[in-house]
Amino acid sequence: MRDLEDQILVQRALQSDPESFGELCRRYYDSLVAVARSILPDRHLAEDAAQEALAAACRDLAKLKKPERFGPWAGAICRNVAKDMLRQLRKQQERTEANAGNEPDYQEDDRKAILDQALQQLPQHLREAIFLRYYNEMSYEQMARVLGATEQMIDGRLRRAKKKIAAYLMKKGFRRQ
Amino acid sequence: MKHDKNNKWLDPLLSKHVHREPANFDFQKWAHKHPNEARLLQSGYADSSRNAKTTVQNLWRFIMESKITRYSAAAVIALAMTLVLFGPFWAPGNGNVVLADVQQNVDEIETLIIRGTKTFTRPGEPGSVLEFNGMKWEFDLVKYFSQQHGLVEEGYIGDKLIYRFTFNRPKRQTLLILPLYKKYGIFASTDKQMLLLENGTPKGIINLLMAGDYKELGRENINGVEAEVFEYQDPGTFKELLPKVIADIQNIKGKVWIAIKEQIPVRVEGDLAIGKSFMTMFQELNLHEVNTFGDYNIELDEDIFDTNPPEGYTEITLSDILPFIPIEAKAGFAGLGIAPAGLIFWKKRRRKRAKANRHE
Repeated sequence: MRDLEDQILVQRALQSDPESFGELCRRYYDSLVAVARSILPDRHLAEDAAQEALAAACRDLAKLKKPERFGPWAGAICRNVAKDMLRQLRKQQERTEANAGNEPDYQEDDRKAILDQALQQLPQHLREAIFLRYYNEMSYEQMARVLGATEQMIDGRLRRAKKKIAAYLMKKGFRRQ
Repeated sequence: MKHDKNNKWLDPLLSKHVHREPANFDFQKWAHKHPNEARLLQSGYADSSRNAKTTVQNLWRFIMESKITRYSAAAVIALAMTLVLFGPFWAPGNGNVVLADVQQNVDEIETLIIRGTKTFTRPGEPGSVLEFNGMKWEFDLVKYFSQQHGLVEEGYIGDKLIYRFTFNRPKRQTLLILPLYKKYGIFASTDKQMLLLENGTPKGIINLLMAGDYKELGRENINGVEAEVFEYQDPGTFKELLPKVIADIQNIKGKVWIAIKEQIPVRVEGDLAIGKSFMTMFQELNLHEVNTFGDYNIELDEDIFDTNPPEGYTEITLSDILPFIPIEAKAGFAGLGIAPAGLIFWKKRRRKRAKANRHE
């Protein structure tokens, strides 16, 4: 039913009903932030990316061929926006590091850093599943709506992601609690 | 599907590391920050290539592909669409001065009563009226239209009321009743459902029909009214209005009589060849419908458009419909997203297992 609601909201948004688009934004904002956060290193950047993705979705809304798939579509836009932001961020960092000649600061908590690395070594689609699942404690159903995948597929992705994370952490000396 | 139990220890760790409280999305703030996008939304994408036809198709496709639980609602919508196919505003043409006037006049009609017939036959057997459950599908029609209240179509065989559709505009509800079976189907039109129906109202339909081909056949006197006769054939957009799975409209032709003095339609005749689809319960059928337009702008009692189910009636369920569908046609339901019971059971079991694994 949610897909149908999305479809109606898209149609209404296309017919001079901005609030319908607002409702779509509210529905997917958290998911989009989680998707962006799986790519970007910072929550605030992820929120910016999600907002930019919604702006891009708004501009291209009329091109959306399957309005019932607004969620996965917005998710894909958000992924691209976040990747672009990450590229820019890296360029900036490279410039700053080159100018200042500074080494990265590794004074963070080791445990946290290792967990970050464990997540970073995951392929993007697995990392995304982890972030969606644990960022806002989303259900499989909610995740499916933004990833455009079945619950079985999501289950598989989470399983594989956890296996990889576990292997990485064990290698780094983490012990099961 | 089963998660490695050894990785269960990761859940609290990841949850603690990744978890954040949901962020609030402030649409007003977003709109303020993105003025161009907000303007686009306000303007309703005026320059967009997206059109009503595509939207209607998409909505229909989606509804008919939806799950079994929505079957009844979908059926009522599908049947409600037939109601408007031959509604009071069916006029062909694409820009002719007379027809443009007709369209405008039609817009100004507040109420209208239509009488006519609706006959279903099998292809290649024009004289052979389809029989269904011992009844010949040859209905006498009465339609009541009110710009304010909605639309009602009653189908009679002899003096027996076989079906009544009521589309109540203010209440946003559609009711189908089948007095012989004491059954009803009600479609409580929420905003989103209403939107579907709005696309199927005469005003919406006429825009689609305006793209059709027609030719003038000359003048004719019909019941004492001097009228101009137009013949129309295959309004392409009309065919595309519904997905084939709902109504596989293969051919449309007919005539419309327009009173010269009043510049309003007085009679419409149409022939539709419909392939195997949901609307025909997966049989090939021909439909011939004649509508004679009666009184315009008379007072119609609001109660006519009442969508409360009559007392003693029970709601139509899938099990009520299935016995009337030919066995070989039941396979067609797969195309509507209606899966065999075994498959549903199997899927439920899979879901249950997945859920159990998730909670491990």
